[in-house]
Order: sequence, then structure tokens, then C-alpha cells
Amino acid sequence: MTCEEFERVLPELGSRHSIEQEEHLKSCSACSDLVADLNAISQQARHLQGSEEPSPWVWNSIEVALRQEGLVRQPPQEHPLLHPPRLSWKLRWLVPAAAVFLVVLGVLMHQRGVGPARIAQPAGVETADLHHPNQAEVMAGDDLQLLDTVGSRMPSMRAAYEENLRAVNAYIQDAEQSAHSDPNDEVAQQYLRNAYEQKAMVYEMALDRSLP
Amino acid sequence: MTDAKKQQGSKLSEAEAIERAKQGDAAAFEALYSLHKRRVYSLCLRMTANTAAAEDLTQEAFLQLFRKIGTFRGESAFSTWLHRMAVNVVLMQLRKKNLPIVPLEENIETEEEAPRKEPGAEDPRLAGSIDRMQLQRSISALPPGYRMIFLLHDVEGYEHNEIAEMVGCSIGNSKSQLHKARMKLREILRASRAEKATKP
Repeated sequence: MTCEEFERVLPELGSRHSIEQEEHLKSCSACSDLVADLNAISQQARHLQGSEEPSPWVWNSIEVALRQEGLVRQPPQEHPLLHPPRLSWKLRWLVPAAAVFLVVLGVLMHQRGVGPARIAQPAGVETADLHHPNQAEVMAGDDLQLLDTVGSRMPSMRAAYEENLRAVNAYIQDAEQSAHSDPNDEVAQQYLRNAYEQKAMVYEMALDRSLP
Repeated sequence: MTDAKKQQGSKLSEAEAIERAKQGDAAAFEALYSLHKRRVYSLCLRMTANTAAAEDLTQEAFLQLFRKIGTFRGESAFSTWLHRMAVNVVLMQLRKKNLPIVPLEENIETEEEAPRKEPGAEDPRLAGSIDRMQLQRSISALPPGYRMIFLLHDVEGYEHNEIAEMVGCSIGNSKSQLHKARMKLREILRASRAEKATKP
């Protein structure tokens, strides 16, 4: 068997070779190197399966879509009598209020932070406005209050919601940076709106789930 | 969600998660996503070579899965069903963008693509010297058609008859494209090694 003949059948070869092919491989270092290299590439490729991790936003977006499409059903309330009705009534108003607050805040920040009127302003002013200490404190205070509420009702859920809030806050921060680096970028502005909607949804889910 | 439910959610077997997801249980959807997200995302990422596109496709693949989960009867493994769906989502996207999935020609091997011999050139084998990052970079440098077949066969482990059915080509074409992809990768990896060797 010649090298040309071996190369012609190579695409069809599996792991087993005929006696003729084996003999050629023993006598031809170029062809045996070639087969060894192709096998090494193939073996190494298998290790690439499932080696990458998607960002947390992928699941957030899926969860939002599942809820919007009605594919997720709310679990039935399991022990309604265990929860004092007065407390639940006191906290229940927070659900729509928090959602509305966050959406309004998001819209305000979006309008102030990335609107066309801001383009001419110096970068320093922009940064100072964006990270206004009072605003930041309000957000952090709200987050902590939410976590306290969740923690008091379902302590085991607190860590999960803390992680979610941290992730969504980082998303907001990234989205703000993108929107500010190019205030005319429609996609960046959309990301920012999505980020605030996601945070509103985290609040809604946390309060909805933690209330009786 | 109650503590008990959350605890159960984290310990759900795949079969239990599937049954619960059919009932609309949020924790079950999340459990299924967690089990399979890495493989689906990795596949999408390598096929598109674009993080944002890969995330969109991953989202789309899982949404399609969850929309259709009620029709899953367990005739095939769930992972097979899901990964096939993910591949279809990616292929659909590539077709929409008119990107080549498989080169049109069947088994036409040009001189450039044929295995090259360099008599007298003493090049040590690649075996043992290929690292993951290097291979990833080389795969993303492959032409899209070759890349698709290589990923489906060598990374995802599909057989040629399955690939032929999925991408709409002949089994012979699938084998031929895979061989060309491996040859191209070998060429890229050897060039990269030679480049490294010349650097001080």
C-alpha cells in the first residue's frame, strides 16, 4: 500500500485498520504520525464538551420568559394558618410598591443617565450623578430590607436571594457602564431597562414567595 | 417556595425533575437547566464563536425544551432529546443568517486540502502537546462548515448517520468534512507550535 492509497481511505477509517493498512503504518512514519496526530486531536476534543458556563442572566431571562408564558405555576400555599394575617397584610403592599419603585427608578436613571441631553455633559459630572450616594444608599437599604424580610420568613432562602440580588446589581452596573460609554446605543439602553425589570422581578418573587 | 420544596428541588433526580417540570414546577425547571446548561452553552458557543449569540441560543434551546416538555415520553434519553434540540436551534439560526453549515461540494478534495507530506521534515507528533485553549482557538479558526461537523462528531459524540440527518448531507460528506476539519486543525496546531518555538 502506498501513502497516496492510505490517505485516500483515511477519512473512512475507524479505530480498526486492515492488515495492509497496519503494515503500511508500521513502515511509514509520516502516515503513522498523521494518524497519531488526528487521534490526539479527536481525543482532546472530547474534553471540550460542557466546559463553558453561561452567565447567570441566561437563567434569569429563561425564568422571566417561563413566567410570562405561564409555564410556571405558583405552588399552592401550604400552611396559611401558620402566618399571622396582620403581618401578611402589612407586608403585602410592598410587592407592587417595590416593583413600581424599581421600574420608576430605572426609568428615571435611564432618562438622566443615558438620554441624548447628557451627551454634551462632562464625564466627571455624569459619573458623580450616576453614583449619587443617596440613591445608592436607598438601593442598598431596600435590598437589605428585602433580605431581612425573606430571612425572617424563610432563612434558608436568604442566601439564594442575596446571590440573586448581587448578580442583578452587577448586571445593572454593567448595563449602566455600557449605556454610558455610548449613550446613543439602543441595545445598551435596552439592556439597562431589562436589568431594572429583572431586579423588579427579583423583588416581586421574593416578596410573593416569602408571604403567606 | 417552602424550605422543604427548595431542599427537594436541589436533590431532584432528572426523572423527577422532568415530571415536576411537566406540572410547571419552577424548581424543577431550574434543576434541569442546571444539569444541562454547560453542555448546551458550550455547544452554542463553539458553533457561533460569539458569547452573546451563544447565550441567546442557549436561552432559546431551553425555552423550546420547556415548552415541549409535556410531549417528552422518555423513548430516548432526556439529554439526547435536549441536545438534539439545541443543535437544531443553532442550525436554524445559522440557516437564517445564511451561514454555511456544510460546504456544498460532496467529497471534492482540492490539492490544498489534501494531506501534505514534507519529506525530510522531522516534526514531532502533536500528541501530548495540545492544550485545551490551543485547541479551542484552533476550532474557532475553522471554516464554519468544517467546524460544525467536527463539533458534532468529535466534541459532542454524534455518529455520522445522525449528523447527516441533522445537517442534511450525506454520510460520506460528513466523514469527508470531518477528515478535512481534523487535517486543518493539525495544520493550525503545528503552525502555532512552530511559531511558539521560534519565539525567544
